[in-house]
Amino acid sequence: MDRNIKISIRNLYKIFGPDPVGALEHVRGGMGKAELLEKHNHVLGLQDINVDIHEGEITVIMGLSGSGKSTLIRHLNRLIEPTAGEVQVDGEDVLKFDENQLRKLRREQMSMVFQKFALLPHKTVLENAGMALLVRGYSVEDFEGDAKKWLARVGLEGNEYQYPHQLSGGMQQRVGIARALASNSPVMLMDEAFSALDPLIRSDMQDLLLELQDELQKTVVFITHDLDESLKLADHLVILKDGHIVQQGEPQEILMSPNDPYITDFISDINRARVLRVRSIMKKTAEAPDDYAGDISDRDNLESVIALSDGDTSLTYRVVRKGKQVGILDMKELVKALVPTEGSEGDARSRY
Amino acid sequence: MATYDFLFSSLGLEEWCAEGKSDAPMSMAALLQKTKGTGAEPESLWELPFPSMNALNESCAAFPKSRELTKGLEEGFLSIKDSMSVVLDPLTQPLSWFLDGALYGMLNTPWWIVIPLLLAVVFFVTKSWKLVGFVAVSLVLLAFIDYYRYAMETLSIIFVCAFLCVLFGVPIGIAMSRSDMMQRLTIPVLDMLQTLPPFVYLIPLIFLFSVTESKLYGIAIILYAIVPVIRLTNLGIRLVDKDVIEAADAFGMTSQQKLFKVQVPLALPNIMAGVNQTIMMSLAMVVIASLVSAPGLGVLVLQGIRNLELGVGLVAGLGIVILAVILDRVTKASLARINASQKQ
Repeated sequence: MDRNIKISIRNLYKIFGPDPVGALEHVRGGMGKAELLEKHNHVLGLQDINVDIHEGEITVIMGLSGSGKSTLIRHLNRLIEPTAGEVQVDGEDVLKFDENQLRKLRREQMSMVFQKFALLPHKTVLENAGMALLVRGYSVEDFEGDAKKWLARVGLEGNEYQYPHQLSGGMQQRVGIARALASNSPVMLMDEAFSALDPLIRSDMQDLLLELQDELQKTVVFITHDLDESLKLADHLVILKDGHIVQQGEPQEILMSPNDPYITDFISDINRARVLRVRSIMKKTAEAPDDYAGDISDRDNLESVIALSDGDTSLTYRVVRKGKQVGILDMKELVKALVPTEGSEGDARSRY
Repeated sequence: MATYDFLFSSLGLEEWCAEGKSDAPMSMAALLQKTKGTGAEPESLWELPFPSMNALNESCAAFPKSRELTKGLEEGFLSIKDSMSVVLDPLTQPLSWFLDGALYGMLNTPWWIVIPLLLAVVFFVTKSWKLVGFVAVSLVLLAFIDYYRYAMETLSIIFVCAFLCVLFGVPIGIAMSRSDMMQRLTIPVLDMLQTLPPFVYLIPLIFLFSVTESKLYGIAIILYAIVPVIRLTNLGIRLVDKDVIEAADAFGMTSQQKLFKVQVPLALPNIMAGVNQTIMMSLAMVVIASLVSAPGLGVLVLQGIRNLELGVGLVAGLGIVILAVILDRVTKASLARINASQKQ
């Protein structure tokens, strides 16, 4: 990917407790989370986090509860102060910002979508959607048009003058998304934005997000504990465990070569045929095979290829992208790829 | 010889004790004791007196008696009283003006303006015809039995005092909610104001201000009634959903925007519950305050007790109940309206 780096997190540490700086020395000296808690009664929140978030991409940070993912996202707009490290947005260190700069960053650069929606219950949907603009000092008349446009875009036309408690959970989160979009900020932080919704609505909302992303190309940082969700949305996937990064990279790569037993465990349950794409398992070659059954796109998932081949493993397909051949796919390779890989320990921990 | 002689002799304080003896004239009790020849050591451990100030005084005349403690308090208060009055008098003077003004206005406006005006206010805050009807019947009933004047006096005192309670209480509550230090300092004071028997804090007020001034009872009512509105404002703001506060932060609200656009509006149901309690408590206090010249229905209750006029006291008491029910229903109905417009 040749996009600009929008946000860069460098050597970020967060320790909770009465003396975080003192505890930091122990962590730098190699003490683990459990030991730190037992011996010094400090909680290690984040440990040596390095992530580059590229402009216009969806970066998904995934981990189980307690892995520090919500803590991490709150460092980006400094809702939480780190113990050590840097967070650079467009090359400027956010942690050195004074109050005014920080407020400007929060108002104009970053918007946030919350797990529990966090709408203002005493304001109408319209006023909620325009909250970012209201904060900047615009009146309702000023932003009415804008807010209505975004509400319509997320499918809430006609609900403008209702109150949040009159809407269902899914609709409330649409207001949350409209609120973030209406702020017109280049970065959108989404903290488990869809976790409180039921599966069908969640899937709808994921589609909505992808659709909006195609259109708007925002820099999205998405937090989730759901692997399927992260594989569906991620351009760049960061897997957190106990406050440190276990692996990060392109999701397909992580699927094909997990470097930690933790991740192997994690991905062993998923439907590989549905999430793996042709491009991750094809043989890259421009040479046309002698005999092929047809053309498939490199973005197809394996499930659709199996359906196309009708289960015949003797076939070979030509993989094309924008009309040009980029590789070939042997159905036998495809079947092999469906078997979960063993954890390839000894690999580098991350791609840096 | 008294029980604790050994204590002073073992400490070598006999001389100091003797000094006290030579100075002080003998008290009546000591004189009686001497003539009767009692005051010997108790025979058994069973009758051992607690080493209190009075018991120790028996052994050592220089040791102060407990009455001297309370006397010291009195003298201390009296000595700072004048300088306190210099500061407090002008500060609290507006309260007298408010109370006198409200009483004058309420009593000198003809009933056929006051009653419809009150009913209009009731309708405006509750939007309920049923309640307006109830208030109308109650007021007409009170007026019919010639209690109109007293009821209006009580009402105008409550209006002024409850208004001032809200005016001061809400900002204090907000300050408490924003600083844990402030909360730690304020809560003991609130606890004390709430648990002190209401008669007790009339005492220093009587010394500080002249009984003829209306601010005397005004202060007593405000001190007693301000507590719930402070507490519930503090509580309401602290209970505002943390997620919503976080969202306000994340969208870059200043702390002022956060306070007035998020915290106070969301705490409003709790604040209104505090206002309701404050009004109820000022009504309770306005009756007690009739002891220090507060006009109104309380005067009739007092008259009923003093002159054993059973009927006057009972009917005035019923009048207070009616006022209480009116005030409670009206504030609760407006609270319900606020709640309905912002349930989560």
